[in-house]
Amino acid sequence: MPRVCQSAWRVLGRLALEFLRKGANAKVYEGAARKLNVTSDVVQHGVEGLTYLLTESSKLMISEIDFQDSVHVLGFSEDLNKLLLQLYLDHRKEIRSILGELTPELPSYHSLEWRLDVQLASRSLRQQIKPAVTVKLHLNQNGDQTTKVLQTDPATLLHLIQQLEQALGEMKTNHCRRIVRNMK
Amino acid sequence: MELSEYVQSGLQPLADPGCFSPRAYTVLLQTAFQSLLDTQADQAALDHPDLKQIDPIVLKHCHAAAATCILEAGKQKADKSAISAYLEDCKFDRERIEQFCTEYQKNKDTLEIMLGSIGRCPPHITDVSWRLEYQIKTNQLHKTYRPAYLMTLNVEKSGSGSHPDLSFSCTLEQLQDLVGKLKDAAKSLERAAQM
Repeated sequence: MPRVCQSAWRVLGRLALEFLRKGANAKVYEGAARKLNVTSDVVQHGVEGLTYLLTESSKLMISEIDFQDSVHVLGFSEDLNKLLLQLYLDHRKEIRSILGELTPELPSYHSLEWRLDVQLASRSLRQQIKPAVTVKLHLNQNGDQTTKVLQTDPATLLHLIQQLEQALGEMKTNHCRRIVRNMK
Repeated sequence: MELSEYVQSGLQPLADPGCFSPRAYTVLLQTAFQSLLDTQADQAALDHPDLKQIDPIVLKHCHAAAATCILEAGKQKADKSAISAYLEDCKFDRERIEQFCTEYQKNKDTLEIMLGSIGRCPPHITDVSWRLEYQIKTNQLHKTYRPAYLMTLNVEKSGSGSHPDLSFSCTLEQLQDLVGKLKDAAKSLERAAQM
């Protein structure tokens, strides 16, 4: 690997990021291999090695110095080390967000729509005045969106708001702030 | 109020003191209301000693007719004069009409709630539970450090008695969005109530 020139490393860096975004693509490796005059296996191994380096570093969110130390033991040239560091710093945020998608997740909130209704009559009872709040809850689960249609009454709606405001307020308490401060 | 002939013919014996004594009339009337409104109503209510002398077939017919009459009155929110007029047509005397209307008035609200709860509607949210957690790391990603809320909406499905609770997670920002929207709904509701 140290023998490969800088421009070839740039290609590998681009391919590693493509690999993280879209998954492996054998055709692209073959194309790159022809250009670089090596076998596609060499390209593939290079991409995989580089990907591992980038994901592990991003996962641990290591500092600039720690990254340089880790790369140093590989015995690359100074210029190449700089190139790798830049690649890491430029794309760390994106890689972390890609890794974040892999975390095990419950269905998560996406958005909510609401509608006010007053029920005026039904088959079994005429002349009613029954206010209701109909909500459509959009949830994300494993990349798919699901919707749930639910209903509630005015008194429960006020109770829900009160409860959820307490939940929001909890984050501002001394207890939570202390934990957040000390965890960093 | 308009009821079928079957109901009318079932109410007529109730007006007849020779068939239903005043005591038997009172018992049947109460039983009819009870069987509609009390979910744990006594299955053997028609075996009451005061109803022993009446032919079981007639008794059942009368009970069904009284119950139908009560339901129809409740459904149309019939007032006292409408009910009286109908019972008069069935040859009820003043006293029995008065008794019917008193009993009806007593149970009217419960009857309306019961009738109003019949029918299809989306699952009803009754409550919410929440849990606040601080995410630290996952096997894929370290140093995540962000608050996350886990919500459970308690939901009741009408008729089926099942409780398909709904759980989901949300970030601080998403919870703010959710609360903001619910507050909008509550404000609109308040404005609509003042109209």
